[in-house]
This record gives sequence, structure tokens and C-alpha cells, in this order.
Amino acid sequence: MNRVLADMKAFGTQYIRSRVGTFFALVFPILLILLFGAIFGSSGSSQVTLYVQDQDNQPASHAFTDALNKTNVLTIRAIPPSADFSQYIRDHSINVALQIPPGFQDALAKAENGTRATVNLTLAGDQTQSSYGIAVSAVDAVATAFNLQVAKAAPVVNILPTSVPGLRHLTYIDLFLPGIIGFTILSTPLFGMTAICAEYRSRRYFKLLATTKLSKAQWLAAKVVFHIVLLFVSVALMVLTGILVFGLKAVVTPMAILIIIAGTIEFTSLGMVLGIFVRDPETGAAIANAIGFPMMFLAGSFFPVDAMPSFLQAGARLLPLTYINEGLRATMTFGTDATAFIDLLVTLGFAVVFFVVAARGLSWKSR
Amino acid sequence: MSRLSGLKGLRARRPSNQSFSWGHRGRRDGGGDPTAEPVIDVRGLTKHYADIKAVDGISFEVEKGQMFSLLGPNGAGKTTTVEILEGLRDPTSGEARVLGVDVRKGYGKIRNRVGVLPQDFEPFDRLKPREAVAYWAHLFDRTLTKEEVAGLIRTVGLADRADTLAMNLSGGERRRLGIAMSLVGKPKLVFLDEPTTGLDPGARRELWGLIRQLKSEGTTILLTTHYLDEAEQLADDVAIMNHGKIVARGSPADLIAKHGQGHSIVLAGAGEDGLSAVRARGVVAELQGADVVVQVPLASDMRRMLEKLASIDTPLNEIYTRRASLEDVFLNLVGARMQEGVLAA
Ligand SMILES: Nc1ncnc2c1ncn2[C@@H]1O[C@H](COP(=O)(O)OP(=O)(O)O)[C@@H](O)[C@H]1O
Ligand SMILES: [Mg+2]
Repeated sequence: MNRVLADMKAFGTQYIRSRVGTFFALVFPILLILLFGAIFGSSGSSQVTLYVQDQDNQPASHAFTDALNKTNVLTIRAIPPSADFSQYIRDHSINVALQIPPGFQDALAKAENGTRATVNLTLAGDQTQSSYGIAVSAVDAVATAFNLQVAKAAPVVNILPTSVPGLRHLTYIDLFLPGIIGFTILSTPLFGMTAICAEYRSRRYFKLLATTKLSKAQWLAAKVVFHIVLLFVSVALMVLTGILVFGLKAVVTPMAILIIIAGTIEFTSLGMVLGIFVRDPETGAAIANAIGFPMMFLAGSFFPVDAMPSFLQAGARLLPLTYINEGLRATMTFGTDATAFIDLLVTLGFAVVFFVVAARGLSWKSR
Repeated sequence: MSRLSGLKGLRARRPSNQSFSWGHRGRRDGGGDPTAEPVIDVRGLTKHYADIKAVDGISFEVEKGQMFSLLGPNGAGKTTTVEILEGLRDPTSGEARVLGVDVRKGYGKIRNRVGVLPQDFEPFDRLKPREAVAYWAHLFDRTLTKEEVAGLIRTVGLADRADTLAMNLSGGERRRLGIAMSLVGKPKLVFLDEPTTGLDPGARRELWGLIRQLKSEGTTILLTTHYLDEAEQLADDVAIMNHGKIVARGSPADLIAKHGQGHSIVLAGAGEDGLSAVRARGVVAELQGADVVVQVPLASDMRRMLEKLASIDTPLNEIYTRRASLEDVFLNLVGARMQEGVLAA
């Protein structure tokens, strides 16, 4: 324990003295938030108004609408059950609208008794707009939570996206900030660790460390703990910027903190796994970029995965960062911890695997 | 090959024959147990790579308190040997025991009793010596007080540089920091792999002083070097290594007596003409570079030989006499010559 703390302290001292690392870890994400926030978040309120037509009108559908209302990002308005859904949307120039069909409660009841059942919700709106993305994420998160509670994760409640073009533009800082936190959870430890592994190998620090009692797992643990502290500082700065500059509503929940911790373990370890193959700083940067950059864009850091074409969505399911982004959005923006919990578990799974592979695979000895 | 049999004779004699002792041992370890296990015990050690036998069946042991030197040109296999003994590489075959444990399995038990200065040691750039020493001690489960850290830094002569970032230290100061870091665990055994390579002569001499001091405190030291003068100056016991094999073993004085050829007369710059002129007088000589060298095995023959050579009128730079050094041993055993004080294979 003493060794891990001493190693962490020495590492942190060097890290802070190196400035470049500190800039990318702490200042760069803030710049991203300011930049993207200024571009996309300057107009409109931070809440999306979601119109809901409840054709079932039973306790279950009321509970669902209630849950939507409890997410921080949606303001719920009702569409009369008798109205023509599409016509009503056009007449009232509505951005996004949700239709809960008759039989919603029945389907849930069947699922609860173990019978297979599904019910399709229709979500109408312009899919190119960020407000639609927010609504999709929120409804999806609530639906997932319902599926979990009622049917032990069997997909009962489905969402059918439907297009209605020509809608207004809304801010998305509450949706965007968790994505930037996800981006930082990936970039700071991943790029940092591959660079460190390359440096430690080319300057023979690994060999030097191998002459001490510090084990590889302890060395890695020290790096993980350091990065967790660094990420906490970084997230605090980001959230502060979000609140002060953009009136951020998303909150850093305990679940978010758990995801940040698990995600940092995951990407610090992944950086070291890549470090196994890295011999010099140039290849280190190249490998980290090749893996990191596509992941940032495809895993929904800058826009929700639900807003992407379906073939990309399938690919995003394979990326570890997707679960961090979605988990953070679910808990920070929509307050749906049940959904976020799944993402946390997936992230923890990746984290354990990467940590073990890193601690085993990295060799301090020479051949 | 006949040299190797000479070497075997040396080895075979040592464990049983206690009269074969190094000067310091009689003094310092007089009370030590003569049957105690050697600090380092290597038998038939090999390390083969795909295309080369980096270490090719070497055997030696190092007694407590000794300064043992592996001397050889670049690529001789010194670092490979040392890293096997540090538990950093696994040998291909053979046995290597350090402080009584097998280096393949037991290193966990002795880590904090072994200090290591690796070849081409580089410190952590953004730590100051004071921080680096305190940090390194923790990695050996020792917590040094401020005074202990300062004391260690003073020992290696870095007192006024203790708060300078390592990236701003000179080459010699970095090595000193490396030695300080290798000493944090109060090791019984210290490996110094080419500690003075690349340093200027002044810095080398200062480091020699530090290494001698370390030895005087009873630390067993394994030093590798490709500087003959370094081995001659520091080591009690030298193993000359070439192409993965130990080709000679003994104290510097023993080696010189055995493999050197006593004294010699050098006609510096006499060249081919000088050689024929010397030979015309019936004197055996050889050409080393542009120098004509005449071996004089018996010191009593020196005067007569000098008189004989004085009358040669070939142009030359100077005539001087030379006592045999490890350089001659090397030349004889390995065929390696010196280039600016460094062995070249
Ligand atoms: N990991 C390795 N793979 C292949 N060859 C190696 C390796 N390490 C050392 N060698 C070779 O083994 C020989 C001895 O190297 P080394 O022990 O470093 O010599 P020295 O320290 O005496 O200069 C050299 O020819 C070197 O190229
Ligand atoms: Mg070497």
C-alpha cells in the first residue's frame, strides 16, 4: 500500500510538472465544452418539451409518463387521446411527440407473468435535431428501466422512431456534457498511459522498477488511482463551467461517480495493454489515436448513439466508451440509475479484463 | 584454449585453499565464516539468443565484501550476465545463486538486499534527487527520514544538487543519483554495470572514490567495465570476458604476472623500418600500430637491452619502458586492442 502511494505521489509530481499532460487533462475538455456549448447551446431552453399521447390511459402508462417527467430534461405536455397523432403534431408545430398505444399495461402485465409480449411506442420528430436526440435518450432510458423492473430485462417496451421534418433547434448542453466527461475518461488515461509505457520502455524505467519490490499490478494500481483523482478534478471543473456558463441541469450522481471510477480503471488499463506493444513514443501516439479517435466519435461522445444510422449503432455496442457515455447520460441527465447500472456493470467488466490483461501482459524483464 | 585450462586451475584451487585470499578479506572479514556461501555463485551459466550465445557457460563466485569485476569489450556478455544475476532475465541453462537464493525463483526474498545501477542509467527527469531517493526507498518498504535522505545524498556528493530537477543534472551527477537510489535499501550486494562509461575523466575519478568508499563499508560489489584502468584500480578480482566466456580470472596483479609479459621497451613511431633495424640486431620485437615493442621478461635484462636499442638511427618519436598492464593481458588473451582507453574486440 505504501509502495502504491509513494509511486502515485512521485508519478503525480512528475505529471504536474510536465504541463502538457495537465493541459490535455484539465484545460482541453473545458475548451471543448465552451466551444461546442457556444455553437449548439446558445439558443433555446435546456429542456425539451415532449408531447405525449396516452391512448392506453392505465396506471402503467401514467407511471411511464411520470417517469419521463422526472428526468431533468423533459417537460411533458399531453395530446388528447382522441386526436389524430400526426395531424396534431403538424397543427401545433410540435418538436417531438410520443405515442403510447392501447394495450401498454396489458403487455407489461403479460411480461410480468412470464409471457412474451412487446409494445411499440412511437416517437415522432426530426431525427436530425438535437432535441430529438435528447428525447430519444430520455425515453429510451425510461423504457429500459421499465423493461428491467417489469420483465427482468426482456424488451417489452420498444420505441419506433418516426420522422416529422421541419422542427425547431434546441440546446443540448445537458446531453453534451456527460459525453465530454466520457471523452475525457477515454482520452486522459488512454493517451497518457500509452505515452508513459513508451517512455518507460525506451528509457528503461521498467527495468529499473523491476529491481524494486513494486509489482506490476501495484504500479498499474498507482496509475489508476492517480488518474481517478485527476478525472475527479477534471469533472469538477467541467461541471462548474457547465453550470456557470450554460446553466447546466445535469447532476453528478453517486452512480456517475461509480461510472467515472470504473471507466478510468478501464481506460488506464487499456492504455497499458496497448503499451505492451509500444516500443517508442511515435508508435504509442499512433496506436492510441487509431483506437481512441474513432471511439470518441462512434461511441456517442459528441451526439447520442441513438441519433446515428443503425449500422453505426450496432458497431457502437461493441465500443467500451459507448457504455460510459450512455451510463453517464442516463444517470446525470435523465436520472435513470437503473439503466446506468447496466452500463456500470459492462464498464466494470471491461475494466477487470483490461486490468488483468495489462498486469499479466506487460513485461518488465528483458528476454 | 591453454588459457582456459589456466583459468580452471585458478578456480579449482580457490574454494578449498584458504591461503588464496584477497588482502582486504583477511582484514575485514577475518571473523567471517570461511564455509559461508558465496554472495554470488554461478555455475555453467548460459544465455542463448537466436543468433548468438551471449553467455556461454561461465562459472565464478564472489565472496562477501569483495569487489569483483567483469571486464570485457562491448558485446562480451557482461550486461546479460549481470541482468541474470539481478533476476531481470532468465538464463538458458546453468545455475546462478545470489545471497543464497536461485535467481529464477527466489528473488522476491532478496530484492531489498540487492542494489542495482543499470547500464546507461537514466533518472526520472522531473524528480529532484531528494524526492527520487525518498520515493525509491518506499519501493523497498523503507521510509527514510529527512536526515537519512540528506545523508545518503551527501554520501554520493550531491548535497548542493539535491533540489535540482534530475533533467538538469550532469552525466556524472545522474550516475551518483543512480548510485544513491541503488543504496536506499542498505544492500549487501550492489551491481554496477559500466558505472563510468561516457563520463569525463574527472567525473570518473570522483565516482571511483565513491565506489571505493562503498566497498570500504563492507558492501559486496559486482562491477562491469570495459575500461582496463577501472578494473585495475578498483577490483580485487577480475574475470576477463569475451564472446560470452570467461577467458581469465584473478586479481589484476595475478593476471598481469601470469598473462602479461613483464616489462617492455617501446620505440614509439619507429614503424616498419624500426622493426627491421631492431631485428637486424637479433632482438625479438613486434609491431603494434606504428610502435615497435620489445618484450623484456626479466627486469635485470632491461639495461643491456636499452643499450642495444639506443644506437638505432631510424627516426622515431621516443623510447620508453613500460610495465605490463591489463592491456597486455588483454592483447594476449583476446587479441583486443585499446582505442582511447576502451577495449575494442
Ligand atoms: N535481448 C537480446 N536479443 C538478442 N541478442 C542480445 C540480447 N541481449 C543481448 N544480446 C547480444 O548478446 C551479446 C552480449 O550483450 P551484452 O551482455 O549487452 O554485452 P556487454 O554488456 O558485455 O556489452 C551482444 O552480442 C548482444 O547483441
Ligand atoms: Mg553492457
